[in-house]
Amino acid sequence: MILKIAFRNIFRQKRRTILTALAMIVGFTLSSVFIGWSDGTYSNIITTFTGNRIGHIQVHSKGYLDKPSLYKTIDNVSTVGEAIQSIPEVEAWSPRLFTSGIGSVNEKSTAVQIIGIDVARETKATQFDKKVIEGTTLAETASGQAVIGKGLAKILAATVGSELVIFSQAADGSIANDLYEVVGIMESGNAITDRVACYLHIEDAQQLFVLEGRVHEIVITVSKINKVAMVTENIRTRINDPLLEVSPWQVVAKSFYKAMKADQQGDAIGRVIIMLIVAIGVLNTVLMSVLERTREYGVLKALGTKPRQIFSLVVTEVIIIAIASICVGAILGILINYLLSINGIKLPQEFTYGGMKFGTMYTEVNMRSLIIPAVTVMLSAIIVSLFPAIKAARILPAKAMRTH
Amino acid sequence: MEQTQNHEVIVTDKVTKIFDPDGIPVNALNGIDLTITSGEFTAIVGPSGSGKTTFLNIISGLDTPTEGKVWLSGKIISEMNGNELSDFRRDNIGFIFQAYNLIPVLTVEENVEYIMLLAGVSKAERHERVKKMLKAVGLEGVEDRLPTQLSGGQQQRVAIARAMVSEPTIILADEPTANLDSKTGNDLLEMMRRLNDETGMTFIFSTHDPMVMDRARRLITLRDGQVDTDETK
Repeated sequence: MILKIAFRNIFRQKRRTILTALAMIVGFTLSSVFIGWSDGTYSNIITTFTGNRIGHIQVHSKGYLDKPSLYKTIDNVSTVGEAIQSIPEVEAWSPRLFTSGIGSVNEKSTAVQIIGIDVARETKATQFDKKVIEGTTLAETASGQAVIGKGLAKILAATVGSELVIFSQAADGSIANDLYEVVGIMESGNAITDRVACYLHIEDAQQLFVLEGRVHEIVITVSKINKVAMVTENIRTRINDPLLEVSPWQVVAKSFYKAMKADQQGDAIGRVIIMLIVAIGVLNTVLMSVLERTREYGVLKALGTKPRQIFSLVVTEVIIIAIASICVGAILGILINYLLSINGIKLPQEFTYGGMKFGTMYTEVNMRSLIIPAVTVMLSAIIVSLFPAIKAARILPAKAMRTH
Repeated sequence: MEQTQNHEVIVTDKVTKIFDPDGIPVNALNGIDLTITSGEFTAIVGPSGSGKTTFLNIISGLDTPTEGKVWLSGKIISEMNGNELSDFRRDNIGFIFQAYNLIPVLTVEENVEYIMLLAGVSKAERHERVKKMLKAVGLEGVEDRLPTQLSGGQQQRVAIARAMVSEPTIILADEPTANLDSKTGNDLLEMMRRLNDETGMTFIFSTHDPMVMDRARRLITLRDGQVDTDETK
């Protein structure tokens, strides 16, 4: 009967019910779009950041990530590669060799980071070929070619066709120097990297640094980013080599990950503010409703209704409105998030995050964008209805029935 | 003071009520001693401010006395807590109010069965008793109507049916005819007298209405919060 009265009461003051529901619906939808936008943005950034540069998972020799060294190499690349390839969620993997040296074109010299890559694998893993903005990508077989960053090309005044001399020290202690033809100039989206990056075919690099068959890093991309943790563990088990470290992107790009997490905490504050506004709106209408029905609660109590039943009556009314509002809000939230996930929102000005440029941001339709607003709306509605409900339950019938 | 006997439905012992809303104490009741026995059809009368409604509120447990004790069906209700009073009112007292005070979102049938629902009476029994009661108050055929779809007289009949359907020990009626025209009021009083005769239920009225006073078998007059006269016809 309490449920029946609560349900019918909702339709008594339609305007007030609509106002209460609107506060909840707007709160839910805003919160849902906020989460969808936030998750979509971060997902976009992570996908670009990992897909473009660091991959989702990396394998290194123990300690390399903390203190890189020419000598900390992975020596059994093909065995490790086979183990990685056997995992179904792995999309691509690519070995890399890193070292530094001096690059010279004609009279100009500067410090360069030499990155040896397996061209075919790197193209599959990080779409290396798409970063080349001038000239061509490296040949798939070692042929003395180099692709350099846009910033480096500017420093060295190099163009496609320039001859690049690299000086460094090889792993056996000898002087490593050789001549390469610049076949392409690339732009990774990270200006700092582009000022030093010099890509060689991995076999050319191995030969130059006397590191035949050895690499410093294996980059892995997986089919879905939410499977990274699972695949990382799987790789660790399959490689089963105590001398190798398998790290997810969150460990590889620690500072980027921390900055992103801090940003997400800022989002939580935004959500709390939205819900506070909703809670104040709901409290106002529920309190008003209780005050208007003081006499009625007095009658109910006089007839033998217990204080806790009156309390339940007020809270039940709010819960019913909240459930209906959550349903409407969920439909709106999904619809808006879906539309924005396809069309995106074009930013008036591009922004740079982690060295990457973003112009259009896309939202994401996910369970988080429904569950968090639902729980928040329901909890805040129940919490704010407690005070009016207690007030109604404590009404003195004799006094209440004198109210007109 | 000894506790009530079986035939004594209400006993009040030096019941005093002092209201102190603005820091100025007002004595609404000044030590009322009264005994009401089962089956009475009693009217409590007196000028405005004499304490009629306050007295009714206190003997029904809607309000508590500042001093003194109230026994209802042998139990001291003036010392019960909120939940105990709720149960006690539900099982022992039927209310009829001047403004009917029906639950606006419930139909006639639902209003009448409400108290039985609180008491956990089965659906079949509720249905049977509601049907019987609505027939007794002449409201057959309007079971599914909302209070707003009824006249004042019909609403008060629903209130009477609601008050009597759970067969409480007493029916307390606060100015039950005040909002009704004289014919409707007269009809309702006749009906309540008949139900009083048939069921033996105790009726206590607080009233200004001469019609009620005429039909009452006992007339208690309050003045300045005290019993002025108490006459049985």
